[in-house]
Amino acid sequence: MKKLIASVQKEFLLLMRDIEGVILMFFMPLCLVVVITLLQHRTFQNLEEIKIPIVIVDLDNDSLGIAFRTGIRNSRMFEVTEITDHDPNTLNEARRNVANGKYQIGILIPENTTSAIKNRAIGLVQKQLPLNITTLINQHDKQVVIMLFFDPITKMSFRDLARSKLNEFASQTETRIIFLTYSKAIDALTNQSSEIVFPKEPIITFKEDLVSEYTGGITPNSVQHNVPAWTLFGMFLICIPLAGNIIKERNDGCMARLKTIPVSYLGIMSGKSFVFIVICLIQASLIILVGIFLMPLFGLPKLVINNNWGALFTITLASAFAASGYGVAIGTIASTHIQASTFGSVSTVILAAIGGVWIPVMIMPDIMRRISDFSPLNWGIRGYYDVFLRNAGITEILPGALKLFTFYIICTAISLLFRKYSATR
Amino acid sequence: MNDKVIIDITNLTKVYNGRLEPAVDNISLEIYEGEVFGIVGPNGAGKTTTLSVLCGLLKSTSGAVKINGFDLDHDLNEIKKFIGVISQDIALYEKLTAYENLYYFGRLFDINKKELNSIIDSLLNRLGLYKYKNEKIVNFSGGMKRRINLLAGVLHNPKILFLDEPVTGCDVQSRIVIREYLLELKLSGTTLIYTSHLMDDVEKLCTRISVMDYGRIIQTGTPTSLISQHSDCLSLEDLFLKLTGRNLRDL
Repeated sequence: MKKLIASVQKEFLLLMRDIEGVILMFFMPLCLVVVITLLQHRTFQNLEEIKIPIVIVDLDNDSLGIAFRTGIRNSRMFEVTEITDHDPNTLNEARRNVANGKYQIGILIPENTTSAIKNRAIGLVQKQLPLNITTLINQHDKQVVIMLFFDPITKMSFRDLARSKLNEFASQTETRIIFLTYSKAIDALTNQSSEIVFPKEPIITFKEDLVSEYTGGITPNSVQHNVPAWTLFGMFLICIPLAGNIIKERNDGCMARLKTIPVSYLGIMSGKSFVFIVICLIQASLIILVGIFLMPLFGLPKLVINNNWGALFTITLASAFAASGYGVAIGTIASTHIQASTFGSVSTVILAAIGGVWIPVMIMPDIMRRISDFSPLNWGIRGYYDVFLRNAGITEILPGALKLFTFYIICTAISLLFRKYSATR
Repeated sequence: MNDKVIIDITNLTKVYNGRLEPAVDNISLEIYEGEVFGIVGPNGAGKTTTLSVLCGLLKSTSGAVKINGFDLDHDLNEIKKFIGVISQDIALYEKLTAYENLYYFGRLFDINKKELNSIIDSLLNRLGLYKYKNEKIVNFSGGMKRRINLLAGVLHNPKILFLDEPVTGCDVQSRIVIREYLLELKLSGTTLIYTSHLMDDVEKLCTRISVMDYGRIIQTGTPTSLISQHSDCLSLEDLFLKLTGRNLRDL
């Protein structure tokens, strides 16, 4: 224990003598979190609230056209521009605006679309009713072509959405007309006149409850994702200064001296790990504070942490252990600073990418989701998601935390074995 | 010096991975308690490798080493308790002060704080560094660094001290201080194993020497006896050149 304390003291002093380096260790991840969160905010809005610009040229201006425009407007997914005049240049201009990216989708509802639907509906009804009560509509099936034109970069999902909305409103209009026609026919048969009031609300409604793996009341947003994700990234980047510290100690000959002293390599490395774990914890705390207090000043959502302090500390500590173990392994195995910094930075970026730091795992393809299971950053992010989004306690995050602690043990074991092997060279 | 063999080396060989030629080739030596044993030889002769094996920094390829009765392969942790190592490198933390460096290494030897502080003060005083106690190593001259480097290896009062070119880069004054201090250690009964290219120092310090070249020991004996065996040699340097040749050893 005395030796461990001496090692911790020494590492602490060395760090304090490089105060600029320490400030950078804290400041750079903070900058990273703020910048990336601001950048990714738009992407997350796409997932939840961004509106697709759409232009509707409604030459019909009857039931279908109005219902469609109203429905689209009310869906809150589109930023709708409506054009209802009959200027022949209108369509061309709308097409141009879609082509130049002003709108992602353009929809032309031609003249008499509602009439065509009405005629078809009445025709269907007439076939079922006695001739003497049929209304005098010269019906014939005339196909109506609603034109949809898209900006080439429009996502297929948005195209499908526009198409399905149109179909939905066309069906609704048709159903309404069929019902009205039948109703009028029945009135004629019974010599009554009844007023039909269509209910404003549909009989079937949907109640949405966020019960996915990652939600428990809080929708993942750029802050809820980026703060834990980049906290972990920052922690794992600690591997570079930590590995550099080990390599410098070796190059200076201090490690050789330590090898001749009755102190174990594990003891020396534990001293380093302890100090860097503390740095990781401070770093994580600062980033979380930034998420809570600074992010809203940039117009971003506030980080919600759910007050499960025990679980939050456990997952942060486990991640800090994993990151320091990784740094010790790199520092022990790499022979030069260049090797350590190149491998450390690139491998951390790779682990972050597959772990869901850049793109949340939930929107990754299936194969990447499986691969992400092997990244310690993913174990950490899952733990943070559990705490921040699912209000999870220590028990729930324990499996992930144990994986991270195991990662630390494995990294340390690899370091010790490599150290032993290198003595025989 | 007495007759007790404190280091017993038998057929020691070290071949580095990927090399065909051994760096240390089947050497056998007996070093007595209390003596100052010098190992001299040109660059690449195997001096540092021999010392590195003896202090546990490298594993030997074959052979046996006993230090103070302990087997080097099996009892390294025990051996580490009573040996001190002064390497060619300045093995100090440059951003720490002289005191902080010595305190750290002393604590690793389990010396209690009070005793350690007293040892540090006394040693710093002895080597003329007390007033620089709280100066960072990075601000020290080469000679000062060498002296602190030496002190870091003797804090725990080792029974055996391995010194690998401990005065490289020192000015004459520092060299003299270090040499005098090593003589004091010798008088106090510490066994010193010393490598150097400075024949003058070796001649003044060492009770016996081995001349090494190409990983082998060419001759062993007291400086005087070795010189006297070669009538054309007037000094240790003459003897050294005679035994190892004048060819440059760049690798």
